[in-house]
Amino acid sequence: MTGTGCDIVALKAINVDRTKQANFYSKIIITAEKSLYDEALSAVVPFEHFVWLAWSVKESVYKFLQRGNPDLVFSPSKINIKKLTVPAPIPSFKVETEGQGFDNNRVYSGFIMYGDQQFYSRSTLNNDLIFSVVNDVDDFTATYWGIKKIDSSEPDVQSAAVRIFILNSLNSLFPGEGLRIEKSPYGYPMVFQNDTELPVIISFAHHDLWVAYSFMLNS
Amino acid sequence: MTREEILNELKKVIAPYTTNKEMLDGINDQTDLIRDLKINSANLVDIIIDAEAKYNIEIDYDSADKMINVGSCVDVIYEKLNQE
Repeated sequence: MTGTGCDIVALKAINVDRTKQANFYSKIIITAEKSLYDEALSAVVPFEHFVWLAWSVKESVYKFLQRGNPDLVFSPSKINIKKLTVPAPIPSFKVETEGQGFDNNRVYSGFIMYGDQQFYSRSTLNNDLIFSVVNDVDDFTATYWGIKKIDSSEPDVQSAAVRIFILNSLNSLFPGEGLRIEKSPYGYPMVFQNDTELPVIISFAHHDLWVAYSFMLNS
Repeated sequence: MTREEILNELKKVIAPYTTNKEMLDGINDQTDLIRDLKINSANLVDIIIDAEAKYNIEIDYDSADKMINVGSCVDVIYEKLNQE
């Protein structure tokens, strides 16, 4: 199985002091992940950023898995980051950024286990946001993604904005009218053109003033 | 505390994290925190931490995983209060 899952965290919306409290971060990262941070990452990543980076990776894995397992419950403690490679300094993002694949020198690369299943992540982190995408193979060349700043954090506005954003991108691959997104009865998004479901696996996310998507063509 | 008393207090815990105040007033056991109350998943840990502080309880990993709708939140809090 190959698919995608993504998540975005708006860093201006997080509570830094609370994130550093053990009773908070221990709900997101386990002892081994705290050790990973202390031993390999503490010199280059503020702890509160690491905690939310871990959250975004884990939620992305959950979204990937939820498509094939609709009853799955998000359980951060059971999705374990085993390795995280730090990139060279990353330049600031523009307000809107889209791409296909990632420059591995510019993103955090992760290796994750959920039970006996392996996942790989690519994350970008700057002063504004953390954006993560996961796949079950260490290859993101076929993964399309986008990040965009919007004007409102109202849930309805976020929801509409992320759909327009991803549909604009999909429209370049599926020209014509009638592209739309519907949620499956189990809550994951699907893409239709008129009455036909398209062979695209998509994931989207929003937090505060940021929306994001990832998708793969399901060939 | 009864389940009803926990539910009334839980509304105050949830209130800062939802913009859907109308739905909050009428929540019931089936109300989903993310889908119905439009709470961002990133705030679910905040709700758990606030509930721990409000009721002076500790919510472990397995219990936290269950807290996806109002009914399961009340169940977990009720169970923890009666363990104290």
